[in-house]
Amino acid sequence: MTTQSIISFIRNNLIIVGIFILAIITAIVEPNFLTTENLQNIMRQFGPLIMLSLGMTFIIMGGFIDLSVGGIISLVAVVTVSLIDPIGQVAALLVGITVGLICGLINSFLIIKGGALKQAEALFLTYGMSVVYTAIALIYTGAASVFLSYSKTSFSIFTAIGEGFVGPVSVTFVIFMVCLLILYIIESRTYIGRSISLTGGNMTAARLAGIPTERTIVFIYAVCGIMAAIGAVVLASRVTIASPIMGKGYETQAILAVVVGGTALLGGKGSVIRTVIGTLLIIMMSNCLNLLGVTTYIQYMLRGAILILAIWLDNRKQYSEGY
Amino acid sequence: MLNIKLTQPIKNVLSAQKAPLAMLLIFITMLFFKTPFYTSYNLIDLVNSNSTLLIVAMGFTVVLVAGGVDLSVGGVMTVSGIIAIQLINAGVAIPIAVLVSILFGAIIGAINGYLTVYQNTEPFIITLGMGVLLTGVAQQLTTARPISCTNPDFQNLANYKLFGQIPVLILVMIATVIIVVWILRSTSFGRNCYAIGGDYEVAKYSGINVLTTKTLTFVISGVTAALAGVMLSSWVNSGNSTYGDQTALYIASAVVVGGTSFAGGIGGAFKSLLGVMFIGVLSNAFNMIQIDSYIQQLLVGLFIVGIIWLDCYDRKLKKEVV
Repeated sequence: MTTQSIISFIRNNLIIVGIFILAIITAIVEPNFLTTENLQNIMRQFGPLIMLSLGMTFIIMGGFIDLSVGGIISLVAVVTVSLIDPIGQVAALLVGITVGLICGLINSFLIIKGGALKQAEALFLTYGMSVVYTAIALIYTGAASVFLSYSKTSFSIFTAIGEGFVGPVSVTFVIFMVCLLILYIIESRTYIGRSISLTGGNMTAARLAGIPTERTIVFIYAVCGIMAAIGAVVLASRVTIASPIMGKGYETQAILAVVVGGTALLGGKGSVIRTVIGTLLIIMMSNCLNLLGVTTYIQYMLRGAILILAIWLDNRKQYSEGY
Repeated sequence: MLNIKLTQPIKNVLSAQKAPLAMLLIFITMLFFKTPFYTSYNLIDLVNSNSTLLIVAMGFTVVLVAGGVDLSVGGVMTVSGIIAIQLINAGVAIPIAVLVSILFGAIIGAINGYLTVYQNTEPFIITLGMGVLLTGVAQQLTTARPISCTNPDFQNLANYKLFGQIPVLILVMIATVIIVVWILRSTSFGRNCYAIGGDYEVAKYSGINVLTTKTLTFVISGVTAALAGVMLSSWVNSGNSTYGDQTALYIASAVVVGGTSFAGGIGGAFKSLLGVMFIGVLSNAFNMIQIDSYIQQLLVGLFIVGIIWLDCYDRKLKKEVV
């Protein structure tokens, strides 16, 4: 590698390089960083966010955005946990996932029927739906939290998701690998997967070329709803509580993870594999900053700053490529 | 034939004047409920409590007319209010503290404008990130606790009542509305905004300085948001990092209800005034007939989705006709 190519690599991957430098500094300053306990901690935080980010990747690749995932998480979490007693854990789990799917379908229905095919219009619609889903969750529980451990019937599946291990890896990690594998196969080997990036690249051209763009939009929002529901189940199992506002803030984190991974916000380019890297980086960053004693408020600031920086740099890259 | 001729103008009026008609409907409905809705106290309070939102909406409208979006208004509002209080608590004179806060809003607006206009990025996601960033700043400044101003004079900035009746806040709001209406209607800058929002490329080739004009719209939005933040902090005599949480969405839907479109080039400041007042009257009426607050949240959410959906749907229909 010549110096020239190293410089251009750093310039193209500024944020990734920055977070790696942060990790190295943390490892030197704070020896706790590289302990097994801390690495397990990172993996545990990884669980819920990666599910959302994987779903969000398809949405952003298709040229859209979904701010309602925060609301979907809250709604699915309270519905699932509260239904364990009346209908049993397996049925509750299935109902929870179905609620996520229905939310995704409602979003896509609103977008297609309203012709809200610009990213900004989709952003406002899904933001509004997020308020609606959260309000439904609040009304459903009367603004109270639902405790998993208060369930009288067995909730062994949730305990397994929250704490269980299969050999050396956690159950959450197995769920993540299965989801990743399925989504990766859909993305790279199927017709609908190719339709997503074509729709995101240029919707009019895709439609004129015979790609079923409307079906693609329904598909990506449905996948995002299901993944948000899985994320909600994982999150509720880990913290053993479901609160009607627990999803707040997750939507910006998921978008951040996708964008930092290198999926273009304009649509058309990206991959679920990149999102895995992006999510790992985001969680590692917040872990490093926690160990270094940086307040959560400043971390919030940094999240906003990195989001702006990532989009700005991505835009510059596309221009310099002659786009 | 006759039927169509008669219904067409009615339909036109209905679709063009949604906000005032709906507001009229609420006023009529409230006649049938025995509530303190029709008291001068409630009506003045209604205007007063919506004044800060109206001030924000004015700048928001200018950005929207020029084809941009500014979702950082909530963040700017919160931080500028906190800056004003903390400067005054540190012993800075009130006028200087207010000016510094407003300058802060202008700087954030200029950064938003530079990133979106000169660097050609999507305005909504950049300003969304800016909103997250500013919320973090607000939390850091206050350690996420409400703060209050130690100088009692600061309250008078918004609460002093002229002629013992009308709070200064309302006068500041009216002044802002008049200035923005004048800017959009009667200056070349305002007309350029409409031209840019209508068609960016055409405006550029007709010799309008599109870059400067569009950046200035973001600066105006930052200034009005900062002014609103200072007035809000003075009105309730406290600064809190959670004040701006839903402002951007609320303002966006209110402005769209008024008839300003996300597509740019359509709308006006006076329409936004009607839009914001409509949502204000609606939630006031909800409170008066004692609807549960979470059901209110649900209704407002559904309402916002409905309004934005209709705005998109109208444009879709027009596109198909063309």
